[in-house]
Amino acid sequence: MKWATRAGVHVDRAACAWLIRRFIDPGAEFIFLDNPAEVPPGATPFDMRGAALGHHQGRCSFETALGSFDLTTDPALEEIGRIVHEADLADDRYDAPAAAGLDVLIRGLTLTSGSDHATLALTDRLFDGLYEHTRRQLMTGRPPA
Amino acid sequence: MVALYYTRSIMRVRDGLEVAPMSPAEEWVLLFYRLPRVPSTPRSAVWRKLKRLGAAQLGDGLVALPADARTREQLEWIAEEVTDHGGEAALWLGHPLDPAARSALAGRMTAAVAAEYDAVTAEATAAQEGDLVTRRRVLVRLRRDLRRIAGRDFFPAPQRDAARAAVDDLAAASRRTEVRA
Repeated sequence: MKWATRAGVHVDRAACAWLIRRFIDPGAEFIFLDNPAEVPPGATPFDMRGAALGHHQGRCSFETALGSFDLTTDPALEEIGRIVHEADLADDRYDAPAAAGLDVLIRGLTLTSGSDHATLALTDRLFDGLYEHTRRQLMTGRPPA
Repeated sequence: MVALYYTRSIMRVRDGLEVAPMSPAEEWVLLFYRLPRVPSTPRSAVWRKLKRLGAAQLGDGLVALPADARTREQLEWIAEEVTDHGGEAALWLGHPLDPAARSALAGRMTAAVAAEYDAVTAEATAAQEGDLVTRRRVLVRLRRDLRRIAGRDFFPAPQRDAARAAVDDLAAASRRTEVRA
């Protein structure tokens, strides 16, 4: 399937792309648009104004996507949703100390990686690690050593 | 973006509230919005978000921020929130044509941020008199406040250095007490 979002990805779009590729559509093809009005026919827009997979009811796009894709039963994904929310919106809705670090790392990657596809290749690995860390922490009740 | 960084770097004025001269490439993102008066909850939610971003009010329902990828995106989402609640919203990107008006606006934004830094300085200084538990608690909160304020400090306010120094002093005082105890 084709998925479209705004060019110049940051934390919320990177997190959504990871979620889509890992949990929804392993063969996902991502398109990055400079003009949000140019979503190609057949592509599903995300983290864009007017998209169903966007910011709604104070939630970031990743949180919206968890609901839309019926992934809310995975507590590790819910926790990542809180981290992405704070990294993206910083409105103190959640206590998510990892958010500040995630924000800085992804902003830094976008400065050096050359293209949105290259950024996503790196952020996919970042979110894989964050997911595993969060999963283990929730299982044992302690941060994994 | 590059122009804005350049502007920021040449404008570390230590005294007073002068702000960077305008660069010809300087862009601002403007949000025009209108929300029904009732219910009032979405209106105040939008207002709180704009305040947190440090947006300057140009007029009734018209706010502005220096444009970069982050401010554009944040205002886009606020526009979406406005339309979600039955209001109307439009985003514009523009250059100021009147240097005096632009300086006044930037000065107002800097003064607001400067007042926040001054409050941090005052709290950090006052907390030095408190006990260790109070000092630690205030320290954690003020460090978070400093990060939040820095996010809306578009024309670095000279008061920032004093606020950081006061918080660092508070941290040092907490450490010293710890060693003694």
